[in-house]
Order: sequence, then structure tokens, then C-alpha cells
Amino acid sequence: MAALILPAGLLVVLLMVAPMLLLARISLNQFSPTEMMVEAMSPENYIRAVQDPYYRSVLLTTMVVALGCTLLCLALGFPTAYWLARMQSRWKSIATILILFPLLVGNVVRSAGWIALLGNEGAINAALRGLHLIEAPLPLLYNAFAVVVGIVAVVLPYMILTLSAVIEGIPRQTEEAAANLGARPLTAFRRVVLPLAIPGVAAGSVLVFILCMNAYATPVLLGGPQFKMMAPAVYDQFVRGNNWPFGAALAFILLFATMVLTLVGSALIGRRYRR
Amino acid sequence: MTITRRLALSGGAAALTAGLPGIARAADGRVVIGTWGGDYGNLLRQNIDEPIVQPKGIEVLQDVANADPRKTKLLAERQTRRGTFDVACLSDTDMYLISQQNALQPLEMGKLSRADAIIPALKKPYAIPHIYSALVLLYNPAKVTTKPTAFADMWDPKYKGRVGFSDILYNTNTLAAAMAGGGGVHDYKPAEKMLMEMRKLDAKVYPSNEALAAALKSEEVWLTPMWLARGFMWKQSGIPVKHVVPKEGAYSIVFEAAIPKNARNLDNAYTYLDAMLDAKAQTGFARQMGYLPTVKDAKLDADLAQEISLSEEEQNRLVTPDYEYLQQHLNEYLDFWNKQFKA
Repeated sequence: MAALILPAGLLVVLLMVAPMLLLARISLNQFSPTEMMVEAMSPENYIRAVQDPYYRSVLLTTMVVALGCTLLCLALGFPTAYWLARMQSRWKSIATILILFPLLVGNVVRSAGWIALLGNEGAINAALRGLHLIEAPLPLLYNAFAVVVGIVAVVLPYMILTLSAVIEGIPRQTEEAAANLGARPLTAFRRVVLPLAIPGVAAGSVLVFILCMNAYATPVLLGGPQFKMMAPAVYDQFVRGNNWPFGAALAFILLFATMVLTLVGSALIGRRYRR
Repeated sequence: MTITRRLALSGGAAALTAGLPGIARAADGRVVIGTWGGDYGNLLRQNIDEPIVQPKGIEVLQDVANADPRKTKLLAERQTRRGTFDVACLSDTDMYLISQQNALQPLEMGKLSRADAIIPALKKPYAIPHIYSALVLLYNPAKVTTKPTAFADMWDPKYKGRVGFSDILYNTNTLAAAMAGGGGVHDYKPAEKMLMEMRKLDAKVYPSNEALAAALKSEEVWLTPMWLARGFMWKQSGIPVKHVVPKEGAYSIVFEAAIPKNARNLDNAYTYLDAMLDAKAQTGFARQMGYLPTVKDAKLDADLAQEISLSEEEQNRLVTPDYEYLQQHLNEYLDFWNKQFKA
């Protein structure tokens, strides 16, 4: 049986573990503008990143955006997932495809669409100005708002599909039994459906949160030059600054922060609804 | 005309190769050009690949990306035996940085038939100059009614919120600020104070040159430091801008081409560099992109020359980058740009 995981396992070792070990090694080197990188064994890059208020604020922004997007996805996704899971008609497969539809469009193309919609000369501002509702264009693009809207539009399908798979596994009879015993729909949802759907909530949130923490294209294209998240900051160090050691250290800090928050989050959800 | 045996043979051979372009090409192989896409890539194709290089039986492949990823690729591949690019196109500053990292081979000028045509001031041992231009101040003449004369005019409180910068040009934006504050190519330090003042004046930063162009077109911003050549292209496309060569100095930019150490098709790379220096190809670039030719014998029409050339008095104000200073400090100023100015 172990042979079954061999091909995938080899791929992971080759394409993920090995490059990560290399990156870990690079993160301990020193940057030099003339030689690019000087071999060293020093935690200096990590210390610099943690002490620099700029990178602390970038990490904080990233965590706040990721957490906000996850909660928003949960709020928007749960009703849709419930509706999809309880759907009986032959339209169900079409509804599923429609929910998946946003994923068929690449991130960059989708962002171009948002720019056309949210820009100063974009559809929304043009319409509002045409109706004489505003004088100057509303700042809809190149800020946190645009990034959150853009990211939620990308990750929402993951949340809905994960949740709906779990909700489908909750027998309808449990809800009917609750109603029989006098529970109002909201009580039935809160005391019966939600606790049973917790594995789905946890799985969907973890998936979405990780995707948000590592978002790259959306923050770059919709956040503009003044809004920074971690993945673009890592890219900047590697490609614009040529500072590979510091970029590698930032990458590991992002990885570590994502892991810790994911584990803490799952543990909290698990404890709250264990019984 | 009598047909000799030799003529008939050569004619037959020519007909054969003409009939079998695939075979003829395979014999000569290919050349891989690491270049920007967009206008630059298209103009390479129109002015160099199709009229000059491809007829020689060389297949031209473009590896398209912005400068930064291509620089990273050149650096990352330094130790490998076979590199991606046969010809690398970069700005002079980037090219210097890459040559300092030992990623380029010294050019054998004897292999370039056009080497002697190059304007002497632009010659380098590791790269050929392809096109050049100068950093100027673009302004909207309808909004900025007193014609500006210097970069320092951007700090006039009248223009609060009306100065725009392209994020990718952080280097030249910082330099323009340094020049306005009394510094220059050897000293970017005054830029720090000037940029922080500019921040208070509510300067706008756009993610790309194209986004900045859109903002100039919609008259959201009125002033920006920009390459003269790009200003010319924008003017052509109906964006309401004029330019002044600032009195603090005209910082030059040269777009260069070089051969990486580990290029796989060396002879074709030299053929390509030679074609880049072709007088007609150079005039083509000037006409369409507004950059100035780097060879002495490329002639510009009078109307075009007036738009993109520098007067003699302006040429005297030309300053070239201090590559060494940039190599030492560019990273610092990228940090400053990101962390202090934009934050």
C-alpha cells in the first residue's frame, strides 16, 4: 500500500521539500550589493524583519486581510452552501458549475475586470458621475477595500463547496426532529446544523485563510503601490531588491505565521464545539 | 546574358534553399532574445527580426519579461553552463549591475561590422547601446500654465495632489527628488527630505507607467518625471502633455544589449547585436518609440528630431548615472521609497 503514495511523495520531496531546504539555507546568508549573496550562518535577516516596524505592519495587514476575508467568506458562503446542499432539483449540477465559474478565470484577468469596474474612470464611478451623484470619483481601487473584494471573489467558491459537502452529510431528519421538538428555525440552525457542520467550517476556513495569507496577484494589482501584503513583499525583495537572503527570511516568517494561526484557529473551533 | 555553369549551380542552390526554408533555417539555428514585451518587443520584431535577422536564416525567439525577473534569471544562471538568453536587453544601470556580477561576456568589437558607427560616449566593453533618451519633466499645459523649468517646480504647493509617480521608476523618481533638493547622481541623500515633503503634498503613486498615463490623460495628475521618449509616445496617443528638460540636469538612460557568458548561440548573438545597430532599424525605433539613435549615421526627419532630440544647450546638461553609487545605494533607496515615502 505504501507504494501508492510513492509517486506523489517523490514529487513533493523533489519540488517542495528540496527547494524549501535551499531557501532555508539562503535565508541565513548575508546580502551584499556587489556580490548578491555572501555565505553565512546568521539569523540576522530574521531579526531585522521582526524588528522592522514596516514588515511588522505588512504582516499585520496580511493577517487582518486574511482573517477578514475568511469571516466574510464564511458569512456569505454558509447560506449559499446550505441552499446548495439541500437542493433536490436537476439544476443542482448547474448551480455547482456556476459557483465554480469564477475559478475558470485567471487571477490576473479577473483583476483586470475589477480595475475596469472600480477605477477612477471605471464603470461604477462613470455611472455615479453620469447620474450626478458624485463630483470627484470615489476611491474604490488601490486600497484595502479593493483587495478584500478581489480576494473574496476568488476564494468564496472554495468555502461554499467545502461547506456544502459537509452540510450534505447532515441528515435532514435532524433538523426535522429539532422542529418537532419545538425549535424555531434559527435555534435549530444554531444548536443542530452549525455544530454538526463544524468540520466543514474548520476545513473551509483553513483552506480560505491559507489562500488569503499567500495571495499575490490580487494585492499587487488591486492594492496598488501603497498597499502591501507579505507575498508581494517577498517578491519585491527577490526581484526588485535582489536581496534573496532577506526575501527568503520573509517567506519563512509568512509560512510560520500562517501555520501558527491555522493551528490555533482549528484548535479553538474544535474546543468550542467538541461536545 | 550567358548562363555559365557556376551561375546555374549557384542559382540552383539558391532555389533549393529558398524552396526549403526549414532546412536552411535548421542549419543556422536560432537566437534567444531576453527582452521587454509590449512596444519594445514588437519594434524589435518589425525593425530587426523580420527585415534583417530572419532573412539570414536565423530563427528569433523572444523571452519576454520585465527587467527585474530577467535580471534575476541572469544572476541565477551565472553558474550554469547553458543560459537561457543569447542576447540580454536591459537599461544601462541594470546592465552595469549584471556585468559586475560576471554574468556577461566582454564583446569582441571586431565581430561587429557596425562597431565604428556607435556614438563614442555610449560605448561600453560589455554591451552595445541600442537606443537612448533623457529624464524630463512632463506637464499638462492646460493646467500648469506657467511653464515649469525644473524638477523643483513639482514641490510648488499650487500643484498639491497633482504630481504623479510611476512605482516602477522609483530609481529615477528618487533621483529627480534628489536633484530638486540640490543632490544629483552622486548623492541621492537630499531626496529623502524632498520625498517626505512630496508625501505631505499628497503625491500619487501609480503601479505602472500605463496607469500613470491613464491618470495624465484623465487630468487626475498634471506633472511627472518621465523619459522624454515615453512622453513623446504619450503625446502621439493624445495624452495632453508637454516636456521641459529640467535645469537641474538631463539624466540619460541608454537601453543596451549584451551577450551572457553562457549564451548558446554565440555567432547569432553577434549577428543580432549588429542588426540592432543598423541605421535603418535605429531610425525605425526613433520614429515609433521616440528614442534617439545610438549610431552616428542614423538620420532623423526634421519634425521628429525637433520632438525627441535635445538642443545643444540641453545636451550640455546631460548627466550619466553613477553606476557604482547606484550599485551601493539603490537597495537603500528602494527601501526608503517603499517604507517611508509610500507607507
